[in-house]
Amino acid sequence: MINNKLRYALVKGDKTYGQITDELLVNVEQKPPLWWFVGMTIGTVLLAIGGWAFYMSLSQGLGTWGLTNSVAWGWDIINFVWWIGIGHAGTAFTIFFLVFRQKWAGSINRAAEAMTVFAVMCAGLFPLIHMGRPWLAFFILPYPNTRLLWLNFNSPLFWDVLAISTYLITSIMLWYMGMVPDLATIAQRTKNKVGKFLYGMFSLGWNGSLYTYSRYETLMKILGGIAAPLVISVHTIVALDFAVSVLPGWHATILPPYFFVGAIFSGFAMVLTLMILFRKAFNLYDYVTEKHLDNIAHVLKYGSLIIGLAYITELFIAWYSGVDYEIYTFFRARATGSFSVAFWIMVVFNAVIPQLFWFKKARKNLVILFIVSIIINIGMWFERYIIMVSSLAQDFLPSSWTDYSPTMVDVGIYLGTFGLFTCGMLMFVRYIPIVAVNEVKPIARAEKLRKQKEKDHDH
Amino acid sequence: MTTKQIIGVFDDESVLLKATQKLKKNGVNIQGIYGPSADHDLIKKLTRESRLPYLSVVTGVITIILTFAFVYYVSVIDYPLHYGGKPVFSFPPMVVILFLVCILITGAFTTFSFLTSEKMFPGKSADVVDPRALDDRFYLVLDRNFNPDEIVKWLQDSGAEEIIEKENENQA
Repeated sequence: MINNKLRYALVKGDKTYGQITDELLVNVEQKPPLWWFVGMTIGTVLLAIGGWAFYMSLSQGLGTWGLTNSVAWGWDIINFVWWIGIGHAGTAFTIFFLVFRQKWAGSINRAAEAMTVFAVMCAGLFPLIHMGRPWLAFFILPYPNTRLLWLNFNSPLFWDVLAISTYLITSIMLWYMGMVPDLATIAQRTKNKVGKFLYGMFSLGWNGSLYTYSRYETLMKILGGIAAPLVISVHTIVALDFAVSVLPGWHATILPPYFFVGAIFSGFAMVLTLMILFRKAFNLYDYVTEKHLDNIAHVLKYGSLIIGLAYITELFIAWYSGVDYEIYTFFRARATGSFSVAFWIMVVFNAVIPQLFWFKKARKNLVILFIVSIIINIGMWFERYIIMVSSLAQDFLPSSWTDYSPTMVDVGIYLGTFGLFTCGMLMFVRYIPIVAVNEVKPIARAEKLRKQKEKDHDH
Repeated sequence: MTTKQIIGVFDDESVLLKATQKLKKNGVNIQGIYGPSADHDLIKKLTRESRLPYLSVVTGVITIILTFAFVYYVSVIDYPLHYGGKPVFSFPPMVVILFLVCILITGAFTTFSFLTSEKMFPGKSADVVDPRALDDRFYLVLDRNFNPDEIVKWLQDSGAEEIIEKENENQA
């Protein structure tokens, strides 16, 4: 046990368990504030736009999208990869907490897991709609069908299906099992009959027995442990969708680690955005302290360095390979050609601006933290745009080169997923404690004991 | 049979830990310990280690074997289709599939086993000693049939905040 006096407090103030319960259940027990309804309305409107775009895609076909013969993967796959990337941070936080015993992740992992679940849901929609006939989506499952066909297990697209569904299911299990004790607490406290019934039902009869806790702790460790490699595998497999093809700009061995770091990077940025909003909205300053935000900023700083290194490596390898197509894609199309604006936005937003976090002043300034976290996600979106479109639009044959621009339907589906995400997160902050109450209690206690020890030591 | 219980209420884990250890040493039958959270120390000292990890490992191994058999059957025996001259069976893609299926099934099965072993299911009504057991107090539930006066004394000595004596019909 490290007893460092210089360490920041993870939970501020000497709080009793009762106080912690009261303060962390505020969002569930009080009526939602006005902005909640405003957000919900905006989310619903966005969702309706998404519904319209979905309807257009189904009723008129994918011709309503901006796809062409050359650019067969456009906004749908860009946004799919972008959302999946965001969905990475939740499980990463849970693993920091459960496997690496990083106590600071304890008060963030619930919200981060929620973000993961909704982001992966948003992501999953894109390939589903891209199939053109989503009602036949079950064709991708390996089952003995009437057509006597089996799947091609060598296809990365099948791995992708497997990876994302595994990730979604495991994340939901981690998230849900983690909140069972809190749901039981709410069920005991709430006066609302419907609430009591529902929370009681979902708390699975949890009664706080120490023997249950003992098994529960083991279960969470196992789940965290087996989810840990999943964090790496999901985006690696998404990257393999590209890397096993022969297109310049895609056909590179660096793609899997590059995608993985990008995913962690954008996911942490999104967590930062959300945590800044939540702690302000629900007065969680004592639980999500400057120390937490500072830690996330540190991760972003190093993530940004690795991303920058990956960009440079890609350029270097393209030049070093001596392949004309590679050199064209990287140095002409991306860095200086028709995609240069997007390329430099990507480089500056991802690799340069987050370097601000080397300065303590920037890490302490909430406005800067918030703006940079959003800038990172814009930059990451451009990264996916660059990878997808620049390689496809200008490939081997200049005769097949095209421009790519999304249509209203493309944009509509993207906005729709924002609606889904917003509504999902708002429902989460309305009905589930944002900070895991049962996990914060031991942390607060450890903090108290540490302080006491220091006091005794001083005397 | 009606169960007679003595319940000690504590507000701190370390006091609870000491009391429980003392009562255990004196041979008192402990029926249950309930609380809002459990720190690692308490779990380690008062409960047996869970055997869930062994189950997970076995599940994982069985899953890997079955998945391998399935994929092999599909791609080599039942439907050996050549894609661009590649071998019908290749190991690298297998690694990805085995890895993912193993995680999925092991995770789901371990969760399911946990719920089964704790007899937890959706809609089960919780046998909570007291609502505060899920908020800020720890409840040490003891068997009253053995020497009640002495138990009460021991509890008082070890710093219990409150002592409840119960003669109820349903077991907590």
